[in-house]
Amino acid sequence: MANVAPTARPDRSAIVPGRLPAVPAPRRLLGKLSLTWLPVAPFFLYVTIFMLLPSLSIVQGAFSKSTGSGYTLDHVRTLFDPQYRDAFWTSIKLSVATALTGGIFGLFVAYAAVKEGAPRWIRSALITFSGVAANFAGVPLAFAFIATIGTTGVITSFLSSYGIDIYSNGFTLYSFTGLTIVYTYFQLPLMILIISPSIDGLRSQWREAAENLGANTFQYWRMVGLPILWPSLLSAMVLLFGSAFSAYATAYALIGSGSVNLVPIIIGAVMSGNITIDPNLGDALALGMIVIIGFTVAIYALLQRRASRWLR
Amino acid sequence: MAELQLQQLSKRFADVVALYSLDLAIESGKFVSLLGPSGCGKTTALRIIAGFERATSGCVLVDGKDVSNVPANHRDMGMVFQAYSLFPNMTARENVAFGLRIRRVSRADRNRRASELLELVGLASMLDRYPHQLSGGQQQRVALARALAIEPSVLLLDEPLSALDAKVRVQLREEIRRIQLQLGITALYVTHDQEEALSISDQVVVLSQGRIEQTGSPAEIYGEPATPFVAQFVGTMNRFEGRVAAEGLVKTHDVLLPAEAALGHPAGDRVLLLIRPESIRLEPLNGDVTVPELGVRGTVKVHTFLGPVTRLSIDTAMGELTVDVGSVQALSLAAGTPVALSWDPASPRIIDLPDDGGAASEPVAAAAQPAGGSA
Amino acid sequence: MRARRLGFWQVFWLVAGALFFLVPLYGTAEYSLETGPGQYGFKHYLTILQDPAFKASFLYSLKIALATVAIGIVLMVPTVYWVNLRLPRLRKVIDFLAVLPFVVPPVALVVGINRLFTSQPVLILGQPQRVSFWLVSGPQILVMAYVILALPFTYRSLDAGMRAIDLHTLTEAAQSVGASWTRVLLSVILPNIRYAMLSAAFLTITLVMGEYTMSSLLLFNTFAVYVEYTGEAKANPAAALAIISFALTWAAMLGILFLGRGVGRRQGQLTGTR
Repeated sequence: MANVAPTARPDRSAIVPGRLPAVPAPRRLLGKLSLTWLPVAPFFLYVTIFMLLPSLSIVQGAFSKSTGSGYTLDHVRTLFDPQYRDAFWTSIKLSVATALTGGIFGLFVAYAAVKEGAPRWIRSALITFSGVAANFAGVPLAFAFIATIGTTGVITSFLSSYGIDIYSNGFTLYSFTGLTIVYTYFQLPLMILIISPSIDGLRSQWREAAENLGANTFQYWRMVGLPILWPSLLSAMVLLFGSAFSAYATAYALIGSGSVNLVPIIIGAVMSGNITIDPNLGDALALGMIVIIGFTVAIYALLQRRASRWLR
Repeated sequence: MAELQLQQLSKRFADVVALYSLDLAIESGKFVSLLGPSGCGKTTALRIIAGFERATSGCVLVDGKDVSNVPANHRDMGMVFQAYSLFPNMTARENVAFGLRIRRVSRADRNRRASELLELVGLASMLDRYPHQLSGGQQQRVALARALAIEPSVLLLDEPLSALDAKVRVQLREEIRRIQLQLGITALYVTHDQEEALSISDQVVVLSQGRIEQTGSPAEIYGEPATPFVAQFVGTMNRFEGRVAAEGLVKTHDVLLPAEAALGHPAGDRVLLLIRPESIRLEPLNGDVTVPELGVRGTVKVHTFLGPVTRLSIDTAMGELTVDVGSVQALSLAAGTPVALSWDPASPRIIDLPDDGGAASEPVAAAAQPAGGSA
Repeated sequence: MRARRLGFWQVFWLVAGALFFLVPLYGTAEYSLETGPGQYGFKHYLTILQDPAFKASFLYSLKIALATVAIGIVLMVPTVYWVNLRLPRLRKVIDFLAVLPFVVPPVALVVGINRLFTSQPVLILGQPQRVSFWLVSGPQILVMAYVILALPFTYRSLDAGMRAIDLHTLTEAAQSVGASWTRVLLSVILPNIRYAMLSAAFLTITLVMGEYTMSSLLLFNTFAVYVEYTGEAKANPAAALAIISFALTWAAMLGILFLGRGVGRRQGQLTGTR
């Protein structure tokens, strides 16, 4: 159009209904980075600064000499000293124990609620309550158990009025056993939440077909149910392991820096300066935790892939 | 190969009655379909027979023996489910061999038998495939082989083809029938697809709302529906309420219609007149053609092309009539064409209606007996 | 229509589960109401509620929680939006990053944060000391860390919310009438993911209000620190606090459920840190 009238109509060619306006072509200066990466840049920047850099500094600290500059394996080697080895071992034992208690208990409860015959409301009630209970961890949970089965706890008194003294056999809440019980309180609902979808995935037709072909309950579980469910079961328990291994607040509120030797507790003690320990050792301990949990998450991812093959 | 009998089988869930005192006998070696819309109770009946539900009252007899209290895993019946019933952690062969494994058959023997059965259903090359590697139709074949592996006395099939593509459905239903005949096994087949039921059964039992509407051979069910429900559920049927006018005539909407079946019904009786679309003769009205006496005048409204046949919707004084004509003929019957409709008085069926209004679904006395068809 | 009777074992396990959940709660409740031998009352609750430190730490934590929610949303909404809209390839990366806070648990992360921002001021965007000093001069550093801790939950919630709506069509529709990117986000996308955002907000607040590890080790007087301190000193009021905490968590959960009524489910995660 050679001559444009003074009151020309606006050029509508830029707005094509149903099409996004063209993104400006990538500028050569930025090379790979084009403007499409801009909106997600803040996120990556943030994660880098507040998660990746601190993690890297832990790694750096773990391998740095305490005085002067340079790197060393000393701190990592110290991790294998008896008291730290014992701490790792105890943490692992505790995590495995509560993964099993929470896992198996949770499996049975979830199955009971999800399978046929259970009224609808039981399932929703269980899931809701599990959601709350799984969040109830930490300091209040410890106090709840102290109030219940602590030395002057409600249930303790109740039982002793019937002549049963649960503390007579050396049991105490502030021990490995006590911790196992308390941890189970949040492991159980966590398991229920994680495993319920997988149990749902166990189609009733499989159970009925097995029955129709002559199998009893035990045979069904042995040949069909468990083989299908085990990857999900195991991956759920791996998650439970990670959850217990990382726990600090609950343990601290229950045993302080004392009776049970756990890695998070030691790290806490190092940070609060309660022990005269080389802060770099704290880094090494943290690194040890990260490695162990990283390992379990990797196993979890592998198991998940196996699980989804049959259950969805 | 056993005879199956249901005696006064009823089932209620809380306040819902799923089955009202069902009586049914199935001869050994016969293929019987339970046909009906969803919710009619056919699946419930099947599940009770299989042992997955307990009847509220009544019993299930196999060869005269009451199995109502026998647990599901001891009933010696093979069941094919609608879908997703293959064990995902086992290959096709392992699935088929499962029942034999439970019965402690040696590995060599059960593998051999599994292979034989998979060959029977045409899947010899899929022995080591897992269910997720098989198509829907293939999975159902494996399910069939698995049910047959234990040599059951009765084969139960719960809508095994509903989840499959139309073409596969037709192919597979023929195969199921072929295998059933070959093995001579008693089969009970649940479906809502009347074409399926009619094409492969020895006997069809039509169910509605927990009651048997009619049992009979496919031809009887289609050609001689005993109740209004059966008439409208099976195939397409034109139906008109009217009163018996005179010998062999029914009056509806001020139109007199011929129906031999009305002979013997007292005048004034309320009846339902039923006639199939393919039984109506149709002629375009032009100049020299007039509406025959005892015929009906109508106007063509809608064409529905069905392939070889075109279904026409005709407007008449008594309402809408559905008429099937050859598609070639339909070309000259555009919408708006006035036509004359008539039929052979022997074609319509007559069903009695109670005089107080409302169509009842009571079987007419002339309906087939509930036991064994006249196949 | 498959009503079957409950089997014996079903009932057994359900009852066992119910008992295990409820007995400690009952025990705590009773303990919190014991004012003397055989006497019951609300004395301990009053002690708590009248304690100025209770209110102070609660509000302190609440402020931190709200700041965390704000930053979390501002950070994640555009990111999740963009990934869903234009960069689906990035999803795997972000999924991985969203799992990392589980791999680097709070007790470990705090070591790194402490080292990086407190003892070893870091060069950030050419503003060394000043920025990191500001960060650790108040609970700001906690807020920053909490955003990371809450990341898995905010990300999953928002992602689920955005996947449930037809992002592409909404965006294109808005842009075809001339809306700018900000306009699209604010006026079109945000209103449609309200439930997901609220769910993420609730989860974050629950997480922050209960977070003890980092706040205690970085020496901030948050609500959880107050609870712990009280518990060390006085047992009965601690039980009362536990009940109050529990009630608040319940309220939050019911809040999420209530909001979820009528909106699609399967949005959002359900657990925090311990």
